[in-house]
Amino acid sequence: MNSAIIRHAIWPLLIALALAFVLVGSGLDLAYVIPRRLLRLAAMVLGGVCVAWSSIAFQSITGNRILTPAIMGYEALYLLLQALLILTLGSASLALLGHHGNVLLSMLCMLGYSWALHRWLLGNGKNNLYFLLLFGLVLTLVLTTFTQFIQLRISPGEFSVLQGFAYTSFNRADGQQLLYSGALVLGVGVVGFKTLPSLDVLALGRDQALSLGVDYPRYVRLYLALIAILVAVSTSLLGPTAFMGIFVANITYALARSSRHRLTLPLGCAIAISLFIVAQFLVEQVFNYKTTVGILVNLVCGAYFLALMIRSRGDA
Amino acid sequence: MITLKHIHKAYAGKTVLHNVSVQFPTRQLTSLIGPNGAGKSTLLMLIARLLKPCSGEILINGRNAAHYRVSEYARQVATLRQHPQFSLRLTLEELVAFGRFPHSRGALNEEDRQQIDTAIGFLGLDHLRGAYIDELSGGQRQMAFLAMTIAQQTDYLLLDEPLNNLDMKHAVQIMRALRRLCDEQGRTVILVVHDINFAANYSDHILALQGGAVRFCGPVAEVVTRSRLQALYGLDFEILRSERGFVCNYFNPSDQEREHEQG
Repeated sequence: MNSAIIRHAIWPLLIALALAFVLVGSGLDLAYVIPRRLLRLAAMVLGGVCVAWSSIAFQSITGNRILTPAIMGYEALYLLLQALLILTLGSASLALLGHHGNVLLSMLCMLGYSWALHRWLLGNGKNNLYFLLLFGLVLTLVLTTFTQFIQLRISPGEFSVLQGFAYTSFNRADGQQLLYSGALVLGVGVVGFKTLPSLDVLALGRDQALSLGVDYPRYVRLYLALIAILVAVSTSLLGPTAFMGIFVANITYALARSSRHRLTLPLGCAIAISLFIVAQFLVEQVFNYKTTVGILVNLVCGAYFLALMIRSRGDA
Repeated sequence: MITLKHIHKAYAGKTVLHNVSVQFPTRQLTSLIGPNGAGKSTLLMLIARLLKPCSGEILINGRNAAHYRVSEYARQVATLRQHPQFSLRLTLEELVAFGRFPHSRGALNEEDRQQIDTAIGFLGLDHLRGAYIDELSGGQRQMAFLAMTIAQQTDYLLLDEPLNNLDMKHAVQIMRALRRLCDEQGRTVILVVHDINFAANYSDHILALQGGAVRFCGPVAEVVTRSRLQALYGLDFEILRSERGFVCNYFNPSDQEREHEQG
Protein backbone atom coordinates (compact mmCIF):
# COMPACT_ATOMS: atom_id res chain seq x y z
CA MET A 1 0.00 0.00 0.00
CA ASN A 2 1.20 3.46 -0.82
CA SER A 3 1.79 5.45 2.35
CA ALA A 4 0.86 8.76 0.71
CA ILE A 5 -2.59 7.39 -0.20
CA ILE A 6 -3.11 6.19 3.36
CA ARG A 7 -2.03 9.53 4.77
CA HIS A 8 -4.63 11.33 2.69
CA ALA A 9 -7.38 8.72 2.79
CA ILE A 10 -7.41 8.53 6.57
CA TRP A 11 -8.96 11.98 7.02
CA PRO A 12 -12.12 11.48 4.90
CA LEU A 13 -12.41 8.05 6.53
CA LEU A 14 -12.17 9.63 9.97
CA ILE A 15 -14.86 12.19 9.12
CA ALA A 16 -17.12 9.46 7.75
CA LEU A 17 -16.64 7.42 10.92
CA ALA A 18 -17.39 10.44 13.09
CA LEU A 19 -20.55 11.22 11.13
CA ALA A 20 -21.69 7.60 11.31
CA PHE A 21 -21.04 7.56 15.05
CA VAL A 22 -23.06 10.72 15.64
CA LEU A 23 -25.93 10.03 13.26
CA VAL A 24 -26.57 6.27 12.99
CA GLY A 25 -29.62 5.32 15.03
CA SER A 26 -29.91 8.77 16.55
CA GLY A 27 -33.34 9.43 15.07
CA LEU A 28 -31.86 12.91 14.45
CA ASP A 29 -32.71 13.75 18.02
CA LEU A 30 -31.00 17.12 18.38
CA ALA A 31 -32.26 17.66 21.90
CA TYR A 32 -30.56 14.77 23.67
CA VAL A 33 -28.98 11.93 21.68
CA ILE A 34 -26.84 13.94 19.28
CA PRO A 35 -25.44 16.41 21.85
CA ARG A 36 -24.54 13.48 24.13
CA ARG A 37 -22.80 11.75 21.27
CA LEU A 38 -20.97 14.92 20.30
CA LEU A 39 -19.62 15.12 23.84
CA ARG A 40 -18.37 11.55 23.60
CA LEU A 41 -16.90 12.28 20.19
CA ALA A 42 -15.03 15.26 21.62
CA ALA A 43 -13.68 13.05 24.41
CA MET A 44 -12.52 10.53 21.81
CA VAL A 45 -10.82 13.18 19.68
CA LEU A 46 -8.98 14.64 22.65
CA GLY A 47 -8.13 11.20 24.04
CA GLY A 48 -6.93 9.96 20.67
CA VAL A 49 -4.66 12.96 20.20
CA CYS A 50 -3.26 12.49 23.71
CA VAL A 51 -2.62 8.76 23.39
CA ALA A 52 -1.03 8.96 19.93
CA TRP A 53 1.05 12.04 20.57
CA SER A 54 2.33 10.96 23.99
CA SER A 55 3.23 7.43 22.84
CA ILE A 56 5.01 8.45 19.65
CA ALA A 57 6.92 11.29 21.31
CA PHE A 58 7.86 9.05 24.24
CA GLN A 59 9.17 6.37 21.89
CA SER A 60 11.22 8.91 19.98
CA ILE A 61 12.82 10.24 23.14
CA THR A 62 13.64 6.82 24.52
CA GLY A 63 14.68 5.51 21.10
CA ASN A 64 12.58 2.37 20.98
CA ARG A 65 9.24 1.07 19.76
CA ILE A 66 8.00 -0.79 22.81
CA LEU A 67 7.87 1.65 25.70
CA THR A 68 4.90 3.97 26.12
CA PRO A 69 4.00 6.21 29.04
CA ALA A 70 1.43 3.60 30.09
CA ILE A 71 4.14 0.92 30.35
CA MET A 72 6.44 3.26 32.22
CA GLY A 73 3.91 3.47 35.05
CA TYR A 74 2.10 6.75 34.38
CA GLU A 75 -1.34 5.15 34.42
CA ALA A 76 -0.58 2.88 37.36
CA LEU A 77 0.44 6.01 39.25
CA TYR A 78 -2.87 7.66 38.35
CA LEU A 79 -4.82 4.71 39.70
CA LEU A 80 -2.74 4.61 42.86
CA LEU A 81 -3.43 8.29 43.39
CA GLN A 82 -7.17 7.70 43.04
CA ALA A 83 -7.03 4.79 45.45
CA LEU A 84 -5.06 6.83 47.97
CA LEU A 85 -7.52 9.69 47.73
CA ILE A 86 -10.43 7.38 48.43
CA LEU A 87 -8.60 5.63 51.26
CA THR A 88 -7.65 8.83 53.04
CA LEU A 89 -10.66 10.99 52.33
CA GLY A 90 -13.26 8.37 51.47
CA SER A 91 -15.62 8.85 48.58
CA ALA A 92 -16.08 12.29 50.08
CA SER A 93 -12.83 13.08 48.31
CA LEU A 94 -14.83 13.31 45.12
CA ALA A 95 -16.94 16.04 46.62
CA LEU A 96 -14.08 17.67 48.47
CA LEU A 97 -11.68 18.02 45.57
CA GLY A 98 -14.33 18.14 42.93
CA HIS A 99 -13.79 16.53 39.58
CA HIS A 100 -11.60 19.37 38.40
CA GLY A 101 -9.49 19.43 41.53
CA ASN A 102 -8.86 15.75 40.99
CA VAL A 103 -7.74 16.34 37.40
CA LEU A 104 -5.42 19.11 38.52
CA LEU A 105 -3.92 16.93 41.25
CA SER A 106 -3.37 14.04 38.80
CA MET A 107 -1.65 16.39 36.44
CA LEU A 108 0.72 17.65 39.14
CA CYS A 109 1.46 14.08 40.18
CA MET A 110 2.35 13.06 36.65
CA LEU A 111 4.49 16.12 36.08
CA GLY A 112 6.36 15.17 39.24
CA TYR A 113 6.70 11.61 38.00
CA SER A 114 8.06 12.84 34.66
CA TRP A 115 10.55 14.99 36.46
CA ALA A 116 11.71 12.00 38.50
CA LEU A 117 11.99 9.85 35.36
CA HIS A 118 14.08 12.53 33.73
CA ARG A 119 16.24 13.00 36.79
CA TRP A 120 17.09 9.36 37.37
CA LEU A 121 16.44 7.46 34.17
CA LEU A 122 16.25 9.37 30.93
CA GLY A 123 18.44 12.42 31.47
CA ASN A 124 21.77 10.93 30.49
CA GLY A 125 20.72 9.63 27.09
CA LYS A 126 22.06 6.13 27.78
CA ASN A 127 18.68 4.51 27.44
CA ASN A 128 19.03 0.80 27.80
CA LEU A 129 15.76 -0.52 26.45
CA TYR A 130 15.78 -3.72 28.48
CA PHE A 131 16.56 -1.90 31.68
CA LEU A 132 13.81 0.66 31.06
CA LEU A 133 11.35 -2.06 30.14
CA LEU A 134 12.17 -4.04 33.24
CA PHE A 135 11.98 -0.92 35.36
CA GLY A 136 8.64 0.07 33.87
CA LEU A 137 7.13 -3.37 34.32
CA VAL A 138 8.34 -3.72 37.91
CA LEU A 139 7.19 -0.23 38.78
CA THR A 140 3.77 -0.82 37.23
CA LEU A 141 3.54 -4.07 39.16
CA VAL A 142 4.50 -2.42 42.45
CA LEU A 143 2.10 0.48 41.96
CA THR A 144 -0.71 -1.87 40.94
CA THR A 145 -0.10 -4.07 43.97
CA PHE A 146 -0.21 -1.04 46.22
CA THR A 147 -3.48 -0.05 44.61
CA GLN A 148 -4.89 -3.54 45.16
CA PHE A 149 -3.71 -3.49 48.74
CA ILE A 150 -5.58 -0.25 49.29
CA GLN A 151 -8.65 -1.65 47.54
CA LEU A 152 -8.84 -4.36 50.18
CA ARG A 153 -9.07 -1.77 52.88
CA ILE A 154 -11.91 0.31 51.55
CA SER A 155 -15.65 -0.30 51.65
CA PRO A 156 -17.46 -2.02 48.75
CA GLY A 157 -19.20 1.21 47.81
CA GLU A 158 -15.96 3.10 47.56
CA PHE A 159 -14.43 0.14 45.75
CA SER A 160 -16.97 0.48 42.96
CA VAL A 161 -16.13 4.18 42.67
CA LEU A 162 -12.48 3.22 42.35
CA GLN A 163 -13.25 0.59 39.74
CA GLY A 164 -14.92 3.25 37.68
CA PHE A 165 -11.51 4.90 37.29
CA ALA A 166 -9.88 1.74 35.99
CA TYR A 167 -11.84 1.36 32.74
CA THR A 168 -11.63 3.25 29.50
CA SER A 169 -14.86 5.14 29.03
CA PHE A 170 -16.04 8.19 27.15
CA ASN A 171 -18.97 8.95 29.39
CA ARG A 172 -17.29 10.41 32.42
CA ALA A 173 -16.28 13.78 30.98
CA ASP A 174 -18.59 16.76 31.19
CA GLY A 175 -18.52 19.74 28.84
CA GLN A 176 -16.45 21.85 31.17
CA GLN A 177 -13.72 19.26 31.56
CA LEU A 178 -13.65 18.75 27.81
CA LEU A 179 -13.24 22.46 27.37
CA TYR A 180 -10.19 22.89 29.54
CA SER A 181 -8.74 19.54 28.46
CA GLY A 182 -9.08 20.82 24.91
CA ALA A 183 -7.35 24.04 25.85
CA LEU A 184 -4.50 22.12 27.47
CA VAL A 185 -4.07 19.83 24.47
CA LEU A 186 -4.12 22.85 22.19
CA GLY A 187 -1.42 24.49 24.30
CA VAL A 188 0.71 21.33 24.18
CA GLY A 189 0.07 21.12 20.45
CA VAL A 190 1.32 24.65 19.84
CA VAL A 191 4.53 24.11 21.82
CA GLY A 192 4.93 20.65 20.31
CA PHE A 193 4.49 21.84 16.76
CA LYS A 194 6.97 24.66 17.19
CA THR A 195 9.62 22.22 18.36
CA LEU A 196 8.69 19.40 15.98
CA PRO A 197 11.98 19.47 13.98
CA SER A 198 13.86 19.20 17.28
CA LEU A 199 11.89 16.08 18.12
CA ASP A 200 13.07 14.52 14.85
CA VAL A 201 16.65 15.26 15.90
CA LEU A 202 16.10 13.97 19.46
CA ALA A 203 15.11 10.64 17.94
CA LEU A 204 18.68 10.29 16.60
CA GLY A 205 19.88 9.89 20.19
CA ARG A 206 21.65 12.09 22.71
CA ASP A 207 25.07 12.33 21.09
CA GLN A 208 23.84 13.03 17.60
CA ALA A 209 21.25 15.50 18.84
CA LEU A 210 23.84 17.44 20.83
CA SER A 211 26.21 17.36 17.89
CA LEU A 212 23.45 18.87 15.74
CA GLY A 213 22.95 21.70 18.17
CA VAL A 214 19.87 20.49 20.05
CA ASP A 215 20.13 21.03 23.79
CA TYR A 216 19.27 17.41 24.59
CA PRO A 217 18.58 17.55 28.35
CA ARG A 218 16.45 20.67 27.94
CA TYR A 219 14.33 19.26 25.14
CA VAL A 220 13.90 15.87 26.80
CA ARG A 221 12.70 17.68 29.92
CA LEU A 222 10.31 19.78 27.84
CA TYR A 223 8.92 16.79 26.00
CA LEU A 224 8.52 14.70 29.12
CA ALA A 225 6.54 17.56 30.63
CA LEU A 226 4.33 17.78 27.52
CA ILE A 227 3.85 14.00 27.61
CA ALA A 228 2.91 14.14 31.31
CA ILE A 229 0.20 16.71 30.54
CA LEU A 230 -1.13 14.62 27.65
CA VAL A 231 -1.22 11.43 29.73
CA ALA A 232 -2.87 13.24 32.63
CA VAL A 233 -5.52 14.66 30.29
CA SER A 234 -6.20 11.31 28.66
CA THR A 235 -6.32 9.25 31.87
CA SER A 236 -8.55 11.71 33.66
CA LEU A 237 -10.74 11.97 30.56
CA LEU A 238 -10.98 8.31 29.52
CA GLY A 239 -9.24 6.25 32.16
CA PRO A 240 -6.22 4.04 31.46
CA THR A 241 -5.71 2.94 27.87
CA ALA A 242 -3.00 0.37 28.69
CA PHE A 243 -1.40 -1.02 25.57
CA MET A 244 -3.24 1.06 23.03
CA GLY A 245 -0.29 3.46 22.76
CA ILE A 246 2.05 0.74 21.50
CA PHE A 247 -0.44 -0.42 18.90
CA VAL A 248 -1.19 3.05 17.66
CA ALA A 249 2.49 4.02 17.45
CA ASN A 250 3.57 0.88 15.65
CA ILE A 251 0.64 0.84 13.25
CA THR A 252 1.50 4.47 12.50
CA TYR A 253 5.15 3.67 11.74
CA ALA A 254 4.11 0.82 9.49
CA LEU A 255 1.61 2.92 7.54
CA ALA A 256 3.62 6.15 7.40
CA ARG A 257 6.82 4.35 6.37
CA SER A 258 8.73 7.29 7.74
CA SER A 259 10.02 8.45 11.10
CA ARG A 260 9.44 12.15 10.45
CA HIS A 261 7.11 13.44 13.14
CA ARG A 262 5.51 15.82 10.69
CA LEU A 263 3.97 12.68 9.16
CA THR A 264 3.70 10.28 12.07
CA LEU A 265 2.04 12.52 14.66
CA PRO A 266 -1.02 13.56 12.61
CA LEU A 267 -1.41 10.04 11.22
CA GLY A 268 -1.11 8.56 14.71
CA CYS A 269 -3.81 10.91 16.02
CA ALA A 270 -6.13 9.96 13.16
CA ILE A 271 -5.56 6.25 13.78
CA ALA A 272 -6.17 6.54 17.52
CA ILE A 273 -9.36 8.58 17.07
CA SER A 274 -10.66 6.17 14.40
CA LEU A 275 -10.01 3.23 16.70
CA PHE A 276 -11.88 4.86 19.56
CA ILE A 277 -14.82 5.69 17.32
CA VAL A 278 -15.04 2.21 15.86
CA ALA A 279 -14.78 0.59 19.29
CA GLN A 280 -17.34 2.88 20.89
CA PHE A 281 -19.69 2.48 17.90
CA LEU A 282 -19.50 -1.30 18.25
CA VAL A 283 -20.06 -1.12 22.01
CA GLU A 284 -23.13 1.07 21.58
CA GLN A 285 -24.73 -0.32 18.44
CA VAL A 286 -23.64 -3.94 18.17
CA PHE A 287 -22.81 -5.21 21.64
CA ASN A 288 -25.32 -3.04 23.42
CA TYR A 289 -22.88 -2.18 26.24
CA LYS A 290 -22.15 -5.84 26.98
CA THR A 291 -18.43 -5.30 26.37
CA THR A 292 -16.05 -2.39 26.95
CA VAL A 293 -14.09 -0.11 24.68
CA GLY A 294 -10.85 -1.22 26.29
CA ILE A 295 -11.44 -4.86 25.42
CA LEU A 296 -12.44 -4.09 21.84
CA VAL A 297 -9.53 -1.72 21.27
CA ASN A 298 -7.02 -4.26 22.50
CA LEU A 299 -8.66 -6.98 20.42
CA VAL A 300 -8.76 -4.97 17.20
CA CYS A 301 -5.30 -3.44 17.65
CA GLY A 302 -3.71 -6.68 18.70
CA ALA A 303 -5.08 -8.62 15.76
CA TYR A 304 -4.18 -5.94 13.25
CA PHE A 305 -0.72 -5.49 14.69
CA LEU A 306 -0.02 -9.23 14.58
CA ALA A 307 -1.23 -9.40 10.98
CA LEU A 308 1.02 -6.49 10.11
CA MET A 309 4.04 -8.13 11.73
CA ILE A 310 3.49 -11.40 9.92
CA ARG A 311 2.82 -9.80 6.55
CA SER A 312 5.79 -7.48 6.57
CA ARG A 313 8.03 -10.03 8.32
CA GLY A 314 9.50 -7.85 10.97
CA ASP A 315 10.00 -4.59 9.12
CA ALA A 316 6.71 -3.27 10.47
CA MET B 1 42.47 26.06 16.22
CA ILE B 2 41.60 23.57 18.94
CA THR B 3 43.72 23.80 22.06
CA LEU B 4 43.46 21.58 25.13
CA LYS B 5 44.91 22.83 28.40
CA HIS B 6 45.57 20.54 31.37
CA ILE B 7 42.57 18.35 30.68
CA HIS B 8 41.73 15.91 33.42
CA LYS B 9 38.89 13.41 33.19
CA ALA B 10 37.85 10.66 35.59
CA TYR B 11 34.85 8.33 35.64
CA ALA B 12 33.72 7.40 39.13
CA GLY B 13 37.14 8.13 40.59
CA LYS B 14 39.03 6.26 37.86
CA THR B 15 41.32 8.60 35.93
CA VAL B 16 40.98 8.30 32.16
CA LEU B 17 42.87 11.38 31.05
CA HIS B 18 45.54 13.01 33.10
CA ASN B 19 46.86 16.50 32.45
CA VAL B 20 46.54 16.43 28.67
CA SER B 21 47.67 19.61 26.90
CA VAL B 22 47.76 19.52 23.10
CA GLN B 23 47.07 21.66 20.07
CA PHE B 24 45.42 20.39 16.92
CA PRO B 25 46.74 22.06 13.77
CA THR B 26 44.03 23.61 11.59
CA ARG B 27 43.26 22.42 8.07
CA GLN B 28 44.99 19.15 8.80
CA LEU B 29 43.96 15.60 9.47
CA THR B 30 44.95 14.37 12.92
CA SER B 31 44.61 10.76 14.01
CA LEU B 32 44.31 9.77 17.64
CA ILE B 33 45.97 6.41 18.15
CA GLY B 34 46.85 4.21 21.08
CA PRO B 35 45.88 0.94 22.73
CA ASN B 36 42.38 0.25 24.05
CA GLY B 37 41.59 2.24 27.16
CA ALA B 38 44.16 4.90 26.37
CA GLY B 39 41.49 7.62 26.50
CA LYS B 40 41.27 8.40 22.76
CA SER B 41 37.50 8.35 22.51
CA THR B 42 37.13 10.18 25.79
CA LEU B 43 39.40 12.92 24.49
CA LEU B 44 37.37 13.20 21.31
CA MET B 45 34.07 13.27 23.22
CA LEU B 46 35.43 16.04 25.46
CA ILE B 47 36.21 18.14 22.39
CA ALA B 48 32.75 17.33 21.04
CA ARG B 49 31.28 18.49 24.37
CA LEU B 50 29.49 15.18 24.77
CA LEU B 51 31.45 14.82 28.00
CA LYS B 52 32.58 17.46 30.45
CA PRO B 53 36.19 17.60 31.63
CA CYS B 54 36.76 17.40 35.39
CA SER B 55 39.30 20.18 35.10
CA GLY B 56 41.21 22.02 32.42
CA GLU B 57 39.83 23.84 29.43
CA ILE B 58 39.27 23.37 25.72
CA LEU B 59 39.67 26.39 23.46
CA ILE B 60 37.99 26.56 20.06
CA ASN B 61 39.24 29.53 18.04
CA GLY B 62 40.63 30.97 21.26
CA ARG B 63 37.31 30.81 23.09
CA ASN B 64 36.48 28.37 25.88
CA ALA B 65 34.30 25.59 24.41
CA ALA B 66 32.15 25.51 27.53
CA HIS B 67 31.05 29.10 26.86
CA TYR B 68 29.51 28.34 23.46
CA ARG B 69 25.77 27.72 23.27
CA VAL B 70 24.83 24.23 22.06
CA SER B 71 23.39 25.58 18.81
CA GLU B 72 26.39 27.82 18.22
CA TYR B 73 28.84 25.00 18.87
CA ALA B 74 27.13 22.80 16.28
CA ARG B 75 28.05 25.35 13.62
CA GLN B 76 31.72 25.04 14.60
CA VAL B 77 32.19 21.38 15.41
CA ALA B 78 30.47 18.34 13.89
CA THR B 79 30.75 14.97 15.56
CA LEU B 80 30.16 11.51 14.20
CA ARG B 81 29.89 8.59 16.57
CA GLN B 82 29.12 5.00 15.77
CA HIS B 83 25.55 3.98 15.12
CA PRO B 84 25.35 0.29 15.89
CA GLN B 85 21.61 -0.07 15.64
CA PHE B 86 19.48 2.36 13.75
CA SER B 87 15.78 1.70 13.77
CA LEU B 88 14.47 4.99 12.43
CA ARG B 89 12.85 4.95 9.04
CA LEU B 90 14.57 7.74 7.15
CA THR B 91 15.88 8.06 3.64
CA LEU B 92 19.51 8.93 3.07
CA GLU B 93 18.49 12.36 1.87
CA GLU B 94 16.40 12.99 4.99
CA LEU B 95 19.33 11.93 7.17
CA VAL B 96 21.77 14.22 5.37
CA ALA B 97 19.22 17.04 5.72
CA PHE B 98 19.62 16.76 9.51
CA GLY B 99 23.13 18.09 8.97
CA ARG B 100 21.55 21.44 8.14
CA PHE B 101 19.68 21.59 11.45
CA PRO B 102 22.25 23.83 13.20
CA HIS B 103 21.78 26.39 10.43
CA SER B 104 18.09 26.23 9.58
CA ARG B 105 16.51 24.62 12.70
CA GLY B 106 14.48 22.31 10.48
CA ALA B 107 13.14 24.73 7.85
CA LEU B 108 15.31 24.06 4.81
CA ASN B 109 16.06 26.93 2.46
CA GLU B 110 17.65 26.96 -0.98
CA GLU B 111 21.19 27.09 0.40
CA ASP B 112 20.49 24.14 2.69
CA ARG B 113 19.26 22.06 -0.24
CA GLN B 114 22.37 22.95 -2.17
CA GLN B 115 24.62 21.90 0.70
CA ILE B 116 22.74 18.62 1.01
CA ASP B 117 23.23 17.95 -2.70
CA THR B 118 26.90 18.86 -2.46
CA ALA B 119 27.49 16.58 0.52
CA ILE B 120 25.72 13.65 -1.16
CA GLY B 121 27.61 14.26 -4.40
CA PHE B 122 30.92 14.64 -2.56
CA LEU B 123 30.71 11.05 -1.34
CA GLY B 124 29.19 9.74 -4.59
CA LEU B 125 25.94 8.68 -2.91
CA ASP B 126 23.55 10.11 -5.50
CA HIS B 127 22.22 6.69 -6.45
CA LEU B 128 21.22 6.03 -2.82
CA ARG B 129 19.38 9.30 -2.17
CA GLY B 130 15.99 7.69 -1.72
CA ALA B 131 17.25 4.51 -0.02
CA TYR B 132 16.22 3.88 3.58
CA ILE B 133 19.11 4.05 6.04
CA ASP B 134 18.10 0.87 7.84
CA GLU B 135 18.30 -1.05 4.55
CA LEU B 136 21.85 0.06 3.68
CA SER B 137 24.99 -1.98 4.32
CA GLY B 138 27.26 -0.95 7.19
CA GLY B 139 29.68 0.82 4.86
CA GLN B 140 26.99 2.71 3.01
CA ARG B 141 25.37 3.71 6.28
CA GLN B 142 28.64 5.08 7.58
CA MET B 143 29.02 7.08 4.34
CA ALA B 144 25.47 8.42 4.80
CA PHE B 145 26.25 9.61 8.32
CA LEU B 146 29.48 11.13 7.09
CA ALA B 147 27.51 13.00 4.42
CA MET B 148 25.28 14.39 7.16
CA THR B 149 28.34 15.55 9.09
CA ILE B 150 29.79 17.14 5.94
CA ALA B 151 26.52 18.96 5.23
CA GLN B 152 26.83 20.54 8.65
CA GLN B 153 29.57 22.71 7.07
CA THR B 154 31.66 23.11 10.18
CA ASP B 155 35.34 24.01 10.34
CA TYR B 156 36.00 21.06 12.62
CA LEU B 157 35.03 17.43 12.11
CA LEU B 158 35.39 14.84 14.87
CA LEU B 159 35.00 11.17 14.07
CA ASP B 160 35.03 8.33 16.57
CA GLU B 161 36.37 5.18 14.92
CA PRO B 162 34.72 5.84 11.55
CA LEU B 163 36.36 2.73 10.05
CA ASN B 164 34.97 0.30 12.59
CA ASN B 165 33.50 -2.83 10.99
CA LEU B 166 34.08 -1.60 7.46
CA ASP B 167 35.72 -3.55 4.67
CA MET B 168 38.94 -2.20 3.17
CA LYS B 169 37.25 -0.53 0.24
CA HIS B 170 34.79 1.45 2.34
CA ALA B 171 37.53 2.30 4.81
CA VAL B 172 39.69 3.67 2.00
CA GLN B 173 36.74 5.58 0.56
CA ILE B 174 36.07 7.23 3.90
CA MET B 175 39.70 8.12 4.53
CA ARG B 176 40.09 9.57 1.04
CA ALA B 177 36.97 11.63 1.50
CA LEU B 178 38.33 12.99 4.78
CA ARG B 179 41.65 13.75 3.08
CA ARG B 180 39.82 15.72 0.39
CA LEU B 181 37.84 17.63 3.04
CA CYS B 182 41.16 18.86 4.44
CA ASP B 183 42.88 19.51 1.15
CA GLU B 184 40.04 20.93 -0.92
CA GLN B 185 37.82 22.58 1.68
CA GLY B 186 40.35 23.44 4.36
CA ARG B 187 38.52 21.65 7.14
CA THR B 188 40.16 20.35 10.29
CA VAL B 189 39.54 16.64 10.83
CA ILE B 190 40.28 14.74 14.02
CA LEU B 191 39.55 11.05 14.22
CA VAL B 192 40.12 8.05 16.42
CA VAL B 193 41.49 5.19 14.39
CA HIS B 194 42.73 1.77 15.42
CA ASP B 195 44.47 0.67 12.25
CA ILE B 196 47.93 2.22 12.40
CA ASN B 197 48.30 1.83 8.63
CA PHE B 198 45.28 3.98 7.91
CA ALA B 199 46.53 6.54 10.41
CA ALA B 200 50.03 6.57 8.90
CA ASN B 201 48.92 6.80 5.28
CA TYR B 202 46.18 9.40 5.46
CA SER B 203 47.02 11.70 8.38
CA ASP B 204 49.11 14.82 8.56
CA HIS B 205 49.43 14.59 12.26
CA ILE B 206 49.33 11.84 14.85
CA LEU B 207 48.56 12.08 18.54
CA ALA B 208 49.34 8.94 20.49
CA LEU B 209 47.79 8.35 23.89
CA GLN B 210 48.70 5.73 26.42
CA GLY B 211 47.21 5.27 29.86
CA GLY B 212 45.45 8.62 29.74
CA ALA B 213 48.51 10.68 28.87
CA VAL B 214 50.04 11.92 25.64
CA ARG B 215 52.81 9.55 24.62
CA PHE B 216 53.94 11.43 21.54
CA CYS B 217 52.52 13.77 18.96
CA GLY B 218 53.73 15.33 15.73
CA PRO B 219 53.76 15.10 11.95
CA VAL B 220 53.44 11.56 10.59
CA ALA B 221 56.94 11.41 9.11
CA GLU B 222 58.42 12.22 12.49
CA VAL B 223 56.43 10.03 14.78
CA VAL B 224 55.78 6.85 12.80
CA THR B 225 58.97 5.13 13.79
CA ARG B 226 59.72 1.63 14.90
CA SER B 227 60.78 2.49 18.41
CA ARG B 228 57.81 4.76 19.12
CA LEU B 229 55.19 2.33 17.87
CA GLN B 230 56.82 -0.56 19.68
CA ALA B 231 56.73 1.35 22.92
CA LEU B 232 53.13 2.43 22.34
CA TYR B 233 51.58 -0.92 21.46
CA GLY B 234 54.06 -3.40 22.97
CA LEU B 235 54.41 -5.17 19.61
CA ASP B 236 57.36 -5.76 17.36
CA PHE B 237 57.01 -3.36 14.41
CA GLU B 238 58.64 -3.29 11.02
CA ILE B 239 58.05 -0.12 9.03
CA LEU B 240 58.34 -0.35 5.27
CA ARG B 241 58.34 2.86 3.29
CA SER B 242 57.55 2.87 -0.39
CA GLU B 243 56.45 5.44 -2.95
CA ARG B 244 52.83 4.66 -2.17
CA GLY B 245 53.17 5.18 1.56
CA PHE B 246 53.90 3.33 4.77
CA VAL B 247 53.26 -0.22 5.76
CA CYS B 248 53.58 -0.88 9.44
CA ASN B 249 53.93 -4.62 9.84
CA TYR B 250 53.32 -5.92 13.34
CA PHE B 251 51.79 -9.30 12.63
CA ASN B 252 54.68 -11.64 13.47
CA PRO B 253 57.67 -10.81 15.60
CA SER B 254 61.05 -10.75 13.88
CA ASP B 255 63.42 -13.72 14.37
CA GLN B 256 65.52 -11.64 16.67
CA GLU B 257 62.54 -10.76 18.87
CA ARG B 258 61.39 -14.39 18.88
CA GLU B 259 64.78 -15.55 20.15
CA HIS B 260 64.64 -12.81 22.75
CA GLU B 261 61.24 -14.05 23.94
CA GLN B 262 62.38 -17.65 24.13
CA GLY B 263 65.69 -16.83 25.75
